[in-house]
Amino acid sequence: MAKRITIDPITRIEGHLRIDVEVDNNTVNNAWASCTMWRGIEKILRGRDPRDAWLFTQRFCGVCTTVHAMASVRAVEDALKLEVPLNAQYIRNLILIAHALHDHIVHFYQLSALDWVDILQIPKADPTATAKLAESLSPWTRNSRNEFKAAQDRVNAVVSSGQLGIFMNGYWGHPAMRLSPEVNLLAFTHYVQALEYQRKALQVVGILGSKTPHIQNLTVGGVANAIDLDSPSALGMAGLENIRVLLDEVVRFINEVYFVDVCAVAAMYADWFKIGSGVRNYMAVPDLPLDSAGTAYDLPGGYIMNGNIAGVHPFKTASDKEFRDGVSEDVTHAYYQGGKPLHPWVGETDPAFTGWDGEQKYSWVKAPRFRGDPMQVGPLAQVLIGYAQGHPLTRKYTDLAIGKVQTIGGIHVTPDMLHSTLGRHAARAIRAAMLAELAQKHWQLLVDNIAKGDYSVHNQPVFSGGEVEGVGTHEAPRGTLSHWVVIKDEKIKNYQAVVPSTWNASPRDAKGAHGPYEASLLHTPLARPEEPLEVLRTVHSFDPCMACACHAFDPSGRQIAKVKVL
Amino acid sequence: MKKVLIGGIGNVLLGDDGVGPYVARLLAARYEFDDSVEVADLGTPALDLVDQISGKDAVILIDSIDTDAAPGTVLLYRKADIIRHSPGVRMDTHSPALVDTLLGADFFGIAPPDVLLVGINAEAYEAGCSLSESVRASLDQAIAEVLGELERLGVGHRRREHEAQLRLWWTNEETMESALTR
Repeated sequence: MAKRITIDPITRIEGHLRIDVEVDNNTVNNAWASCTMWRGIEKILRGRDPRDAWLFTQRFCGVCTTVHAMASVRAVEDALKLEVPLNAQYIRNLILIAHALHDHIVHFYQLSALDWVDILQIPKADPTATAKLAESLSPWTRNSRNEFKAAQDRVNAVVSSGQLGIFMNGYWGHPAMRLSPEVNLLAFTHYVQALEYQRKALQVVGILGSKTPHIQNLTVGGVANAIDLDSPSALGMAGLENIRVLLDEVVRFINEVYFVDVCAVAAMYADWFKIGSGVRNYMAVPDLPLDSAGTAYDLPGGYIMNGNIAGVHPFKTASDKEFRDGVSEDVTHAYYQGGKPLHPWVGETDPAFTGWDGEQKYSWVKAPRFRGDPMQVGPLAQVLIGYAQGHPLTRKYTDLAIGKVQTIGGIHVTPDMLHSTLGRHAARAIRAAMLAELAQKHWQLLVDNIAKGDYSVHNQPVFSGGEVEGVGTHEAPRGTLSHWVVIKDEKIKNYQAVVPSTWNASPRDAKGAHGPYEASLLHTPLARPEEPLEVLRTVHSFDPCMACACHAFDPSGRQIAKVKVL
Repeated sequence: MKKVLIGGIGNVLLGDDGVGPYVARLLAARYEFDDSVEVADLGTPALDLVDQISGKDAVILIDSIDTDAAPGTVLLYRKADIIRHSPGVRMDTHSPALVDTLLGADFFGIAPPDVLLVGINAEAYEAGCSLSESVRASLDQAIAEVLGELERLGVGHRRREHEAQLRLWWTNEETMESALTR
């Protein structure tokens, strides 16, 4: 008989994602992704000065503050047809890259590694053997016996105290956990080290943005960083050198630790290359602009339908006409008023809560669609779209990852296998390696441009009067983010944010098509339905963040149930 | 010199949830502190809160809470109170991050010895940039609790002769009087 399992909440950090799966014969045969909170904060922006919007949108989410600030200034610049000086593009790009590197490191180690790594196996590991194994995989200098021993001692202390503290909610000893004690210790030690390197990446954001968690240096038309090579208070040689040193350390951690660990875990869980595929329509927007007008980018965008990689369609610009015209939001199964799907410029956010009903309405997340179809967004989308277009940097690191997984696991891996739960983790590591290389490139571009004597950072916005529309996009850590603004007489008339987690966590639409989370869970085998670790693995592979897709508050305030088997 | 973080937590776009950043900015405008004190509007932090509290001797967090008490009630929590409620009862609107942060800091050996959460029971969390009357009425008490904790810690603070600029950019408040009482 089919059983219904509800998992609520599913993010390890703040978030309000609920997953319901129907399980028959230890296999998932139906799934619902829902968000349990109402958002609607876009309405606050109506009537405000478009130049201030980014300050507000930066508060949409506590995890991805900068991405919402960036998409907002880009939306207003798009509406005003305003170009951005080169220095400003490079400074923005460096902020976006540093934020993404921080985010990808935290995602893998702090948010999802423990779906694959069993804490309770760590006391059984031999630190000397672990060091030997680690040295065979990577030149990382902190793969020493002492580092492994110290991490093991910490775990031993927690396990022997019986107070698991931060680890109290894991499925330890689950039959789907398969790593050797040594690999568990290796990955866990890097989990501890990862905290230091994600912080270094955030420090770069802080130096350029003046502050974290809320950057201060953006402005419509550019950035507010004064460039003066000799002044300690402006952005000068000392600050730039500081950034270079921090980036070098983060880049080394990405290449020698994160990238290697993902390949190793993938090699040891190779069956997960066949699980968790789901929606094979992918979308990414071009990002990291290389010129003032935004005609050339370091990250390619486009879309792929039905897994047809050879048939990739590129987006030429970050506000490509096909993208602008193609996005709509469906509320058939979401708790909002309204009938037919609406384009974000005419989007509405009027709540109509009716309670969870899997056949009717069941989520606060709207269902964004691209030309009527659900799309998967995120690093996997970006990597597949870049790979399909022959983008050299994407090819370089994808081929490197495939080679590494093959060598470690002794298995044959093809790019097609990326349509999977492991594929999403692998793609995030590939993207991190690409961004690491681009961080150094954009640092050099900035320094070289300043050396030419160009200190310009800002173009003055000019309002023409009347009504104008704009879209600002950013290929954020969780995928395509777009802010849509309508400006009338210098004030905001309408504002909508279509965030990555709404694409991926979307409910069904009028046609009954599942969103990516839902579709990815179908057919997943569960070893122990009452401990649905496999469901968590796939959902976590998307890097869910409901604080962003919805807002960070649960009206009932007391809905934290771990896992309910109905 | 004790290193202290006074951090306002909450989303300024969600009504009473903004009370933490609000109080932090009122404090910064009205008082001067020893150099070892940092006053910050932390927004709605997740795991990066670990970085913010690491290396501090004491942390005073101000946040909205969601309890059965009357709106505007100010309740104080120490670390043991906060982590005891995990994961069964949600005490704070950001508890998942707060509890994880405190437990994580413990595990990594970087937990501040002193933690105080000054919780202000919220009335409404609807989208909007202003505080409800009941929460406004408790602002003075929340500020007094923060100052009381500083005194307990032996950390200096002085009322400014001339108030610094109020940076409540998300509201229309321009003066301390209107910010506190309107």
